Parts: sequence; C-alpha cells; structure tokens
Amino acid sequence: MSISLKVEDLTFTYSKDSEPIFDNLDFTLPINSFNLLIGPSGSGKSTIFKLMSGLYPQYNGTKKSGRILLNGQEITDIVPFERARHVAMLFQNPSRQFAMKTVFEQLVFALENIQYPAHLITKKATTVLNNLNLWQFKDRVLQTLSGGEQQRVALATILALDSPIIFLDEPFANIDSASRLVILAELKQMQIAQHKTIFISDHDISNYAGLVNHLYEIKLSSKNLLELPLSKLSKLPNQTKIVKKNLPDNAAFSWHNLSFHIGERLLLSPNSLSIPKGYVGLLSGDNGIGKSTLFAALAHQKKYSGNIFYNGKPSEKIRLNNWAKIVANIFQNSSDQFIKLRVNEELELSQSNSLHSEYWTAKRVQDAVNKLNLTHVLEHVNYQLSGGQQKKLQALIILIMSQPVMLFDEPFAGLDISSLAILLTLIKQTTKDLDSSTLIISHQRRGVIEHIDYEFLMRAQTITRLGEP
Amino acid sequence: MNRKRINPAVLVIIMLGIGLQITFAHSVFTNIGVIIITCLYLSYCKTSSKLLILTSLYAFPLALGSWWSFIAFGTGDVWHIAWIYASRVYAYLYLGAIVTLTVPIKDILLSLALHLNLSSTFVYGLLASFNLLGRIKSQYKTIRYSAMMRGTTYHFWNPNLYLRIIIVALNWSQDLAEAMTSQGFTEGAQRTLTYKDNLPKWQWGLAALLILLYFIFSFLVRPW
Repeated sequence: MSISLKVEDLTFTYSKDSEPIFDNLDFTLPINSFNLLIGPSGSGKSTIFKLMSGLYPQYNGTKKSGRILLNGQEITDIVPFERARHVAMLFQNPSRQFAMKTVFEQLVFALENIQYPAHLITKKATTVLNNLNLWQFKDRVLQTLSGGEQQRVALATILALDSPIIFLDEPFANIDSASRLVILAELKQMQIAQHKTIFISDHDISNYAGLVNHLYEIKLSSKNLLELPLSKLSKLPNQTKIVKKNLPDNAAFSWHNLSFHIGERLLLSPNSLSIPKGYVGLLSGDNGIGKSTLFAALAHQKKYSGNIFYNGKPSEKIRLNNWAKIVANIFQNSSDQFIKLRVNEELELSQSNSLHSEYWTAKRVQDAVNKLNLTHVLEHVNYQLSGGQQKKLQALIILIMSQPVMLFDEPFAGLDISSLAILLTLIKQTTKDLDSSTLIISHQRRGVIEHIDYEFLMRAQTITRLGEP
Repeated sequence: MNRKRINPAVLVIIMLGIGLQITFAHSVFTNIGVIIITCLYLSYCKTSSKLLILTSLYAFPLALGSWWSFIAFGTGDVWHIAWIYASRVYAYLYLGAIVTLTVPIKDILLSLALHLNLSSTFVYGLLASFNLLGRIKSQYKTIRYSAMMRGTTYHFWNPNLYLRIIIVALNWSQDLAEAMTSQGFTEGAQRTLTYKDNLPKWQWGLAALLILLYFIFSFLVRPW
C-alpha cells in the first residue's frame, strides 16, 4: 500500500487577528525515511506535527488556506480511528496523554480504538511492551511513573498502533542520553525493517548523523519549512568536559544522612553532601533514578529521613512557607510553576515579592525578558505559550524571586541551543551576583557542560560529587 | 473473588429502579428491608467493614438532621415522617454501595457500555476524569507550594486556588482530548471491546423481581 502525506499552500494562524504561524507552506513528507525537524522554541514544531496529524485546526487555530492531504484525501475529513492507522503522534508532555490508569490498560485502549481484533490485543500489547523493556511496568499506575518512563509508555502506545507515519515531538526531553541512543537506534532499525516514516522534532541535534535522511528547519522569517544539508549534523563541536575547579568551602545548604523511598522502593540510602554558594552544579543520573524526588525532598514536598540544613539550622524546624523562600524548586512541568493567568502578571508578582528587589530592578527584568525573547508574549495567557517559552518564563520568575537555593529540574527541555545559552548565562549570572546555590537536572549536556562548575551523579541509591576522591 | 456476583449493569438497574421508588415511597419497613438486603449482599461480597462503618458515620449527621427537623418543625404524624426520612438516607447509601463498593468504577462503566449501550465517549470521558482525580489532589498541593515560593499564600478558602485548579484541569482535558483523538478514539464509532463479564439471564429476572417486589410492598401493601 503506498502512502503519502502532503501539505499544499498552507496558511495557519492561532487567532484570526494575529500573524500566521505558517505562510503558504508547501511540504511533501518523504515516505520510508527518517527525518529531523529543528527550529527555535516557539517556531511551530509542535504545530506542524499536530496539523499533519489532523488534530489542528480541530483543537486549535484556524486554517486560512491550503490543504493537508493523507493519501490524496483531506486529513481532517478522515475519522480519527482510520487516521490513527496511518499517522500517529507522540506529544511533548508525557503525563497528559493517558486516558487509562495503568500501562497495560492504556495500550489496550489504543488498540480497541483502531478496532484491532479482540483476540490479538493482549498478544500485541505484550509484544510491544517486551520490545521496549517495559513489561515489568505493565500494571504500574501511569501517574506514578517518572517523566522518562511515561514517555516510553507513550511511545509503546504509538508503536502498538502500527501506523506507518510517526511524528515524535521532543520525545527525548525527559530521557537520559544512554536511553536516548538506544531508542534512536531502535527507531532507525524499525523504520528500515518495517518501512516506516519517522519525523522527530528535537532541540538537541547530536547523535543524528548517519541516522537521518532529511533535515528540516522552520524558518521564522519566511514562516516556512526549509531542508538543510545533512552535513550540519556531523559538524558538531566536541563535547567538553567539566573543568575541575577547587570550589570554596562556603556551603550554606547541606544534607546529612538524607534518604527516601517511593512506595517500597528505596531511592536514596543515607547520603550527606553540601552545595557551594555562588556556583552552578549539575545533577545527573539515569531516568527514574530519583533526581526529581531528591529536589522534592529538599523542598519539603516529599517525606524523607535525615536532616537538611540551611545556615547550620535543621530545616525540619522551619515552616513550609518560610522554607519556600529559601529553597525554590523549578518544576519539570513548567505549568505547575504558574499561579497567575498572564505572562506580565507572573513577572509583576515575582518582582513585587522578590527577595532581592534591589538587584531585580525594572531595567534588569526588562533586559532579561528581551534576551529571552518573551517581549512579544507579555500579554499572552501563560498556557498558550509554546513549551520552550513556558520553560523560559518559569525559570525567569524564580530567578527574580532569587531564593538562596535554586533547584532547576530540566530547565532546558525543548529549548533550542541559542535560547539555552541565553537562559544558562542568566542563571549563572544571577547565581554569581547573588551568591546563590544552584543545582540543575539536565539530560541535555551539549551547550550546558561548559558552563557548569561541578557535577553530582545519582546512581545506585547514592549521590557522589564527580572528580572527588 | 471467585464467588458469583451480580453483574454491574444489573446492579445499576436495581439501584436506579429501587432508588427512584424510594423517593416516593412512604414506608419505614420497606426502607429497612432495602437496608437489610443490601447489607447482606455487601457482606456476601466481603466489602471492607471499616469502609462501610466510615460511610455510615459520614451519613449519620444527614440522617439525624432530617430526623430532627421533622420532629422539631414537622406537622402531622411527625414520628412516622421523621423515621421515613432518616431510614431513607441509609437506604440510598447502601443501595449506592452495592454498586460502588463491590465493583471497580472501570468495570461499572464498561459493563454499562456492553449491556446497556452507554456511549463510549461518556465511558472514556468519565474514566479519564476519574484517573485524573488523584492528580488534581496533588495539583492542589503543588499550586499552594508554588504560591509560597512566590511569596504569597493561597489558603484553602482562597478562590484563586480553585480558579487555578480549574484552569489546570481545563488544559489537561484539552491535551487529553488531543491525545485520545490521535490514539484513534472516535466519538460514536465502533471499537473493539475486550471487556467481558458474565451476565446470565436470571440476573435480569432478579432485578425485575426486586424492583417489582419493592413496588408492591411500598405502594400497594404500604406497611408502617
């Protein structure tokens, strides 16, 4: 069966009176190939995928002109269960794509939707879970899985559907680099063996050389999709290592014999460490190892044993609303950070309650907003921002609050390399100027490592500082 | 678990068929009859007695409240009416419990879809929202904590807190609807149904019999 997916002369806009996000876009998806889409955050990577999956304009925006044709038929005219047999999509936010409670139920749900024969469903779901090494998660409740694990289950759901065309929107944002390499290799193998067409959007272009057949970029200037030469993927600068520094022994924040569980599972056995002031550290480790849980414990959002100290005082005696002004947890899921409706309201709230209002003058805030390229969205509702814009706003509102300890959980997920550099510079500058202690979880190492002062590795229920005896 | 149970769809029919009549019936004895029979079925199903006692305690202020208000402010045969209303609360409670405490919510909905043609949009919409409940609880905590980090406190009576939860839930539902559509879920379309349960014909007869018996006793025999 031959399949085709074509975009013809498409003009698409989110609201009728705003500038279109795509203007007279023509694009033919190369079938039986492995493709990569890049572009700055907010340029429309998710939008083009949702358009080509037939979800937009049903769920958002307006198509002003043009057609999107799946096998010569307008894609929005095809019923979803028929469409899902041809096109499947993996969404950026892993936790919000599950209708069912457990992993197995979720796969069964998807297979039932496409009217897969009842007697084959269990077999199919079992095979897919085994292939992705997820069998042991079969009966786990989805909402209790880590971000990376959820993304793998979402991937399993899509593979179960067996659609020949697969869109993956930032699939590796919460996945560690080792698993990323494994999944990429599996995807490539599957693409060749089963004649699939894969289109991935990724902010991180490393490790794609040799895998990818076509590389595309969304050009903001022309609001169009441009094919780039593949050579761009192989000319990447080498990864630098963290330069070992002798950091001063000035820590104000430390933990002693800290340990915690999730359910029955021990994530951290008694561990003691401190983090220096005025420096930015990286916390690395595999998916589901407990990095986000460590942050939650340090922020008093998760039960633990042991002690956490600030300025020599055990934190357990400090009330939560005061502790929240000492330790800030910048969540993996950006929208959890927001408590107002609009971007400018979020910024104003942080400014008026900032712990360092002398530092965060109106001009400095304005500069930061400009640099992060958020000026044109100040009036927007924060939920309508793109994934990358949400990440930038979220980090900025906490930087303005300026807690002495700032814990960033995947602040760069979905950010393009230049946005990342700007944000990281801002984090580093603030940390240095205000003598704060900053720790970052980031699976993305490219563009990050060179700015990091020290690294903690979480592994086998313990955390160690790398490069220490 | 291997004991024979009444099918969830039949239980729902019994609950509706009798529940609706309770509203119009004026008999303490038939209410007590309902309470006894439902409690017998609940103990046959080995429902957690702790849970039953707790729910009974929760309902007590309601029963006492309506009982007392008729005694204090009613006219006519206040004792009779007071006991009717008090026993009615418990009849409703245990009637609901034979459905909700003996069968998981997923089985109730799927059984209704299988035997009574409940639309799958309704079934999966409800299931998805039930699965979100736990997250809404944790979201409540997260929002309060996020506010603290920004130097403000959202007390539990603060409307901003709930506005926030509603906005979050609306966004989840949008994302979820998109995801379900892309996973092939189609409103009103055929789906494969792997859910199976046992529904012998005599269970429909049982439902009809119980509903009819209740009708005869409440409206024709009319004991006190």
